[in-house]
Amino acid sequence: MKERQVVIGHALGLHARAAAKLVQLAGQFQSSVVLVRDGAQPGEADARSILSILLLAAGHGSSLLVRADGADEDEALEKICEYLSG
Amino acid sequence: MKDSEKIIHGVVASGGVTMGHAVRAFDPQFISFNYKLRLSHVDEESDRFRRSVEKSRQQLRRMQQQLQKRKGPESSFLIDAHLLILQDKLFVDRINEKIRDEQINAEWAIQKVSDELFEAYDKLQDEYLRERRGDLDDIVRRLLHNLQVNAQPSFKKLPYDAILVGRAIPPSILFELRSQRVVGLVTETGSPLSHTAIMARSLEIPAVMATEDLSGISPGEQLILDGDSGLVICSPSPQKIEEYKPRIKSTKRSPRSTVAAAPIVTTDRVRISLGANINFREEVNAVVSSGCESIGLYRTEFDFFRDGRQPDEESLVGDYTEVLKTAKKTPVTFRTIDVGIDQKSWDGVNSNLGVRGLRFCLENQDIFRTQLRALYRASVHGKTRILLPFVSTVDDLDTAREIIVDVRKDLDAKGQPYDANIPIGVMIETPAAAQTCDLMASRVDFFCLGTNDLIQYYLVVDRSDQSVMHLYNPFHPAILRCLNQVYLLLEPTGKPITVCGEMAADPPSAAVLLGLGFTSLSVSLPAFVRIQQMIRRVSFSELRDLARQLLRMHKPKDIEERVRATVGTETS
Repeated sequence: MKERQVVIGHALGLHARAAAKLVQLAGQFQSSVVLVRDGAQPGEADARSILSILLLAAGHGSSLLVRADGADEDEALEKICEYLSG
Repeated sequence: MKDSEKIIHGVVASGGVTMGHAVRAFDPQFISFNYKLRLSHVDEESDRFRRSVEKSRQQLRRMQQQLQKRKGPESSFLIDAHLLILQDKLFVDRINEKIRDEQINAEWAIQKVSDELFEAYDKLQDEYLRERRGDLDDIVRRLLHNLQVNAQPSFKKLPYDAILVGRAIPPSILFELRSQRVVGLVTETGSPLSHTAIMARSLEIPAVMATEDLSGISPGEQLILDGDSGLVICSPSPQKIEEYKPRIKSTKRSPRSTVAAAPIVTTDRVRISLGANINFREEVNAVVSSGCESIGLYRTEFDFFRDGRQPDEESLVGDYTEVLKTAKKTPVTFRTIDVGIDQKSWDGVNSNLGVRGLRFCLENQDIFRTQLRALYRASVHGKTRILLPFVSTVDDLDTAREIIVDVRKDLDAKGQPYDANIPIGVMIETPAAAQTCDLMASRVDFFCLGTNDLIQYYLVVDRSDQSVMHLYNPFHPAILRCLNQVYLLLEPTGKPITVCGEMAADPPSAAVLLGLGFTSLSVSLPAFVRIQQMIRRVSFSELRDLARQLLRMHKPKDIEERVRATVGTETS
């Protein structure tokens, strides 16, 4: 299990389009990917679930903890953090 | 073109003459409502849901391809979001779990899961994201739509003078039609007694049903619909249009003035109570402003399922409060919902002998309790009466009464005010109820006679099957004997009884009802004036004598002729 803190770089934050792309990206890996946001209700989102990502309401500049767990966790963490930081 | 003028024959289902353009309605749209599954049906239901997801996915992919072709890849990303929702565990898996764990139908599970998600969306601070609930809403609608066996084309772009043409058109659609100003209705199936016809009359939309093949009518074709003679004239010639013009104008809706200003009495001064039947809460105002003394039957299921989903208690309290406030002091008899779980196509083959009416309510007590609670809570705003449909045993009746007691206790505990004296009534519409109404009398405050179903069950004639429609006959000696027996059984009990079926709405058969002793009728508003006029023309004691003779006659046709000769056949 690997995790890393990342700041959302997209101008609009994780909105519909960015969230859709994130789900598609996360779907390419075997590892499970979870996003954790402090203070959000619910505070955790499955990166493969567009609805849970949208409910995180992570705007531009908000900080997320990305947690990847599985065979390709390193690559998954790398690519997803790269995407999130914009 | 003169050459192409063609006349199609059918049955009069709702009177009036209208002219418009054909709009084809292909398959019936189904009302979705919520019900519990038997354990053995869970797999099947989860499969049904899966097919709906798959179908939705295919539709979205097709849309995406079309968009990409026309506007480039960028514009199709919104559809990506929709497609992703369809594979979202948070959504799809949870719906499947609900179907299995709670043993509920797919529609219900979709509503439950999406309601939870909507609630979460509504709590978001971010306005843009809150708006994203629209995507979810869209998907929910698509899934519900695709769960219907035969999906319906949208009626959004109807011309203003649309005449709906189809094999069957369910009453649920008529509400939509109303606001679309659909001017007429032609169907291959159905009959004057089908729910669609009842609804068409109540909305005053002329309708012809049980016609020959309608596939020759092309969309947009001009039609004259003669609801008084059961004719449809396709591509009418200019002469034909000229010929019909005066009648088309004359049947335009006219405001009903004070129809019931004076008490309604027969020539020998017998007071007859005449109420109004309604199907939609919007009709209450017309009833009150025309001075009717009561709403004798409010068929609540049409409003109940109007949004295609099960309403919550608060919105029902709001609806019923509005009805009672609009009705002012006029008593309103709310018949609790009368549907069956297999009765998805209201006009097709249905569960007339299955789970419907009170049986449905007792099997789906959450729905029943919600409606009862709402009725009791709203009852402080007007004169409420509650009527239980399709009762066939005293046991069912007792169970229903226990539920009512329970609902009241619950309201007491919560300190909710309500009218403690709401009369509870039973619908006599099954042969079993007709035979045992005296046994039910001590358990209820009033009775309603639903002649449509009673005749259907007595004569074993499915009222939506036109091949046996000619056998449906209110003048059958079996019906006269049955009604006579009900009257004799109930008369000593002193419990009031109102006849609210179609039999009360046609002057000759209504005269028979008076003759058998019934002094309280309830009819749809369009029939109100003609029944009122009939009552004021006849002598009650003469009708009583007539009925005694009718009860000795053998043949429906002879009975009908005899009645018509005595009462006169004017129907308007």
